[in-house]
Amino acid sequence: MMLGDGRFDSSTLALDFALQPSHLVVLLPAAIPVLVILLTRRSAAAFVVSATLSFLGLAAAIALLAQQARGGAVASPGTIGQLPVGPGFSIPLHLQVDRLSVLVAVAVGLVSWAVQLFTRWYLYSDPRYRQFAATVGLFTAAMQLVVLSGDLLLTLIGWELMGWCSYLLIGHESERSKARRAAYKAFLVTRIADTPLVIGLAILALGARSTDLGVVVTHWTHAAAHHHTALAAALLCLICAVAGKSAQVPFQDWLPDAMEGPTPASALIHAATMVAAGTVVLGKLVALLELSDPARLVLTIVASVSMVGAGVLAFLQHDLKRLLAWSTVSQVALMLLGLAVVTPRAGADLGIAHLLSHAMFKALLFLMMGWLSVLVAGTTVERLSGVLSKYPGCRRMVGIGLLALAGVPPFAGFVSKDLIIDQAARGGIDGDTSARIAFAALACVVLLTAAYSMRMWLILIHRTGAQRVQALEVVEDSYAVQEVGIVDMLVGLPPVDQHGRPIDGAVAQPAPIAEVEEEDDLLVHQQPGGGARFGLQLLALLSVVGGLLIFSPMLDVDWKHPNGWLIGAGLLLMGAVALLVRMMSVGTVYGDAAARVPVFVRAAASRGFDVDRIYVAVVRPVVGLAHVVTRLEGRLDAGVQRLPEASAALARRTARLHTHRPTTGLLAVSVGLVAVGLMGVILW
Amino acid sequence: MVAALLVAPLAPIVAGLALVVGDRSARAVSRHTAYIVSLVVTVLALLACVVIAVQRPVLDRQWVPEIGMRLHLAVDGISVPLLLMTAAVGVLVVLHARHEQPEGGTPATFFGCLLLVIGGGIASFLVQDAISFFVAFEVVLVPMWVLIGRFGDRRDARERSRAANTFVLYTVLGSTLMLVGILTMTFAAGTSDFAGLAAHRLPAGQQTAVALILLIGLGIKVPMWPLHSWLPRAHTVAPTAGSMLLAAVLLKMGTYGLVRLVIAPLPDGVQRLAPYVATLAVIGIIWGGLVCLVERSLKRLVAWSSVAHMGFVLLGLMSGTAIGLQAALYANIAHGVISALLFAVVGGLKHRWGSDDLDTVRRSLRDISPRLSLALVIGFAASMGLPGLAGFWGEVLAIFGAWSPGGDRPLGWFRVLAAVASVGAVLAAAYALRVLRIVWQGRAEGGAPPAAEPETDAHGNEWLVAGALSVAAIALGVVPVVLLHTTSDAVTHLMAVTGR
Repeated sequence: MMLGDGRFDSSTLALDFALQPSHLVVLLPAAIPVLVILLTRRSAAAFVVSATLSFLGLAAAIALLAQQARGGAVASPGTIGQLPVGPGFSIPLHLQVDRLSVLVAVAVGLVSWAVQLFTRWYLYSDPRYRQFAATVGLFTAAMQLVVLSGDLLLTLIGWELMGWCSYLLIGHESERSKARRAAYKAFLVTRIADTPLVIGLAILALGARSTDLGVVVTHWTHAAAHHHTALAAALLCLICAVAGKSAQVPFQDWLPDAMEGPTPASALIHAATMVAAGTVVLGKLVALLELSDPARLVLTIVASVSMVGAGVLAFLQHDLKRLLAWSTVSQVALMLLGLAVVTPRAGADLGIAHLLSHAMFKALLFLMMGWLSVLVAGTTVERLSGVLSKYPGCRRMVGIGLLALAGVPPFAGFVSKDLIIDQAARGGIDGDTSARIAFAALACVVLLTAAYSMRMWLILIHRTGAQRVQALEVVEDSYAVQEVGIVDMLVGLPPVDQHGRPIDGAVAQPAPIAEVEEEDDLLVHQQPGGGARFGLQLLALLSVVGGLLIFSPMLDVDWKHPNGWLIGAGLLLMGAVALLVRMMSVGTVYGDAAARVPVFVRAAASRGFDVDRIYVAVVRPVVGLAHVVTRLEGRLDAGVQRLPEASAALARRTARLHTHRPTTGLLAVSVGLVAVGLMGVILW
Repeated sequence: MVAALLVAPLAPIVAGLALVVGDRSARAVSRHTAYIVSLVVTVLALLACVVIAVQRPVLDRQWVPEIGMRLHLAVDGISVPLLLMTAAVGVLVVLHARHEQPEGGTPATFFGCLLLVIGGGIASFLVQDAISFFVAFEVVLVPMWVLIGRFGDRRDARERSRAANTFVLYTVLGSTLMLVGILTMTFAAGTSDFAGLAAHRLPAGQQTAVALILLIGLGIKVPMWPLHSWLPRAHTVAPTAGSMLLAAVLLKMGTYGLVRLVIAPLPDGVQRLAPYVATLAVIGIIWGGLVCLVERSLKRLVAWSSVAHMGFVLLGLMSGTAIGLQAALYANIAHGVISALLFAVVGGLKHRWGSDDLDTVRRSLRDISPRLSLALVIGFAASMGLPGLAGFWGEVLAIFGAWSPGGDRPLGWFRVLAAVASVGAVLAAAYALRVLRIVWQGRAEGGAPPAAEPETDAHGNEWLVAGALSVAAIALGVVPVVLLHTTSDAVTHLMAVTGR
């Protein structure tokens, strides 16, 4: 439309227009909640709106990518205009378009679109589908705002909005008290971690006299030498907030609980938004991070501890959805290490590269997990054991996701992980403490990742006779998917003999033929629609070939000097670990290698080592203080209420002087008059 | 256009008096008539205020020359937003009163009192003269007392009269102190015009004394901790329309008075007292937040959240920077909109439930009443300072302002206060989510969500009021530039005048 009047340059794809693609990347998903709430009354209409707009959002991101590649993108488009807050301080509220943010924007748009398509199937008969789709739209917009933000305040806006959206999504099934608690916990833990964020931003912005990201980075790069402490303090404040949002130690425990949300919500939160936002924000400030060794060291330690601990916990989880959740903690820590080990003057490319590959395979894995959980009505080991041998159609995509997660070449996960390990090894040889710590943790986590990926795969392809019988008689209770464990099943099901056949044959024995038909019928319904499957296949494809991105000019990474010895040794060890896990799984009921671990350890790990109790113990004094304050307030109020009484009493007492002896006053006056008169007479 | 200056305050006041007096005549005014008259008058006042905001007319006449008092009506960037908000909330309050007209008196008295409060509010934001401001300030007192004392919660007559009396006594104490301060300044300066007062500088010691008196007097109205205890009481008892006016108009008169009577003419006194007032403000933020964590009455909880939010306004005012002042004026407006919204919704819920006890187990509002629950969610999300809604900018910028205070204020102490205030924002999130968890999500244990009950949801005027305030809360959050630009020039001027 604009081609004719010279506002569009076809060689650079530059567009001379107030509304840039970068605006649309944020605005189109943001329009989803508005339109869904205002215009639609039915789920189908809401789906049309949200699928269309999120696709357009993705298209805008791709257009932006094309612009950026051809050099026509506007680097810092304005938004709502500069905020006038007096002279000496500017809040320009610009966006920032650079190669990394554009890449992330495309990934976010893609995952969000896939999630929208998948959700329609997953929540087909849910009365709150509209709210869910609207929230996903807002969530995506908030993340895109963080990704494309060129202003500390815009970052803060997107950051807090994401927390709010995660609250809405996790608490989607709010008729379950567990979901309510998980949502409350997720929001509060991240919000508490965000407390220093405003302060950190205030230090950075007030020092630079502007909230513009470019100005802030430039100012502090020069000022770092003189104001080292202030910079470190500001960055530590930011790292605290990042640890909260990215579920790093000590704020990690909200994330596995967030599995109470519907699976598409988990896919969104884990793959492309929320937890990855920390990497994006620190990535934008990586130039400052390089200048502050204390901040880097803290980030390294936090990420290393989280990474290894989460890897161990992932291996021990009884619920495979929680396994994926812990693996997210571990993988996000890996991205953060990718930022912590960078050499001076290098960009955030390592961390962002892993963010991109993780977004692809983790979205794939979570959505597949959602699909499988619908098939077997649960996500625990007992339910999911052998599901892939029963539904072989899902096999390929789950396999791709797990191989990418484990980091097997040539999948995307391998490429991005190897780059970080190479960098850490190089930094360690150069004598950098952070890099050495990071390298040790990375060595552990490569093996742990291989172990839990292998464990999950073995459980999913496992097949036993008893499991086949049980799978036909699952308790169909989609509102209580989480609670149904093996004990509930044993209580709820009719008694069986030692072969797993019902004892009371007359009650629960439909004709075998009818049973098969019913199952076939179910299979037809139990498959997402074509669009959603296309989205999944796209994610799978990108998980396989996404690693090729490092050869493009969009990512500035050193891929020409891979450390062959390191890769070889890593692969050998991974193979050995996989073999070990396979050996451990042999002979277990559900093909679960973790069954060899003592049960109390597994139970503690499933509860995240009871960190939740520590959280509760931290919060309890606050509530106690609140009670104390309320009591003090009651006292204060009672005191205030007594004031009128007191003054009334005083009034009564003084009034009594007058009313009971009406002549006292008069007498006193007369006496006084007489006395004055006498004095006058005498003295005169 | 000068006529608009007179129409805006006088139309509601005259109509209000007429309704109250007419009610005493042999033939009582019908409910319908009272409503129509009120609606017409408030819409007229709103239109007049819009004209004033656009044209900025000035009326300046000699009034009582003996004490230098003038009839000076005008607006600047600081008063325009407050004026528009008062007039707009006035219309909404009348609409809401049609929907929910409490017992306790005749409709004409109720509407008349609402109009008097609205008119007094408009007048106090229009006058440019300290003594006239005091008069306008006092006009709202008695009608508000009637609204609380006669039309308040029917369940507890004793508590009702106590709340009304506490409100009146506290406020009268405050305005008496304010009068003392105003007269001191007026006799020193020889004029009671705001500009004249600001131009005449008292010696520093005297400034501190006058500022102290005025801060206590206006602090009661704001309210500033520990002078706040009238507020939760009054809000809990007051009818919904009264609560909305109290939050959106009366509290704003306190902060407006602080800007005009304390910050502009007494910079040295403010400078000296700022650390103490800011400390009280931050205590108020934390105190209000903590009480909200355990408060059982929903209406009272919203009132307590007001104490916390006004703490942010005070903190911004005391920071002595342009950014802090801008933040305070923004948070002031934001609080008016958010509280009015919350009181409209919460009042509606109390009306439906018959009580507002949070410990009573109820079904999830999100399923039963989608419209009310949307408004409730927007209100509480805005109240906890969620970006994209009104509450965010004021609070964040107030913390920014406090982090780098102006003048010779103690830097370290203000930074501590900023950090504590940001903890207060977390408390706001905790109590907002507490309410949402109890009311919005309900207390069901599994099972299918309850079906929607459209007949009990918000309709007609109630939905119009809640919807309009929700839209205002979102608009303020998404486009803060408009309001900030409106106040910007006046703030810059004020900062230049006060010597920084």
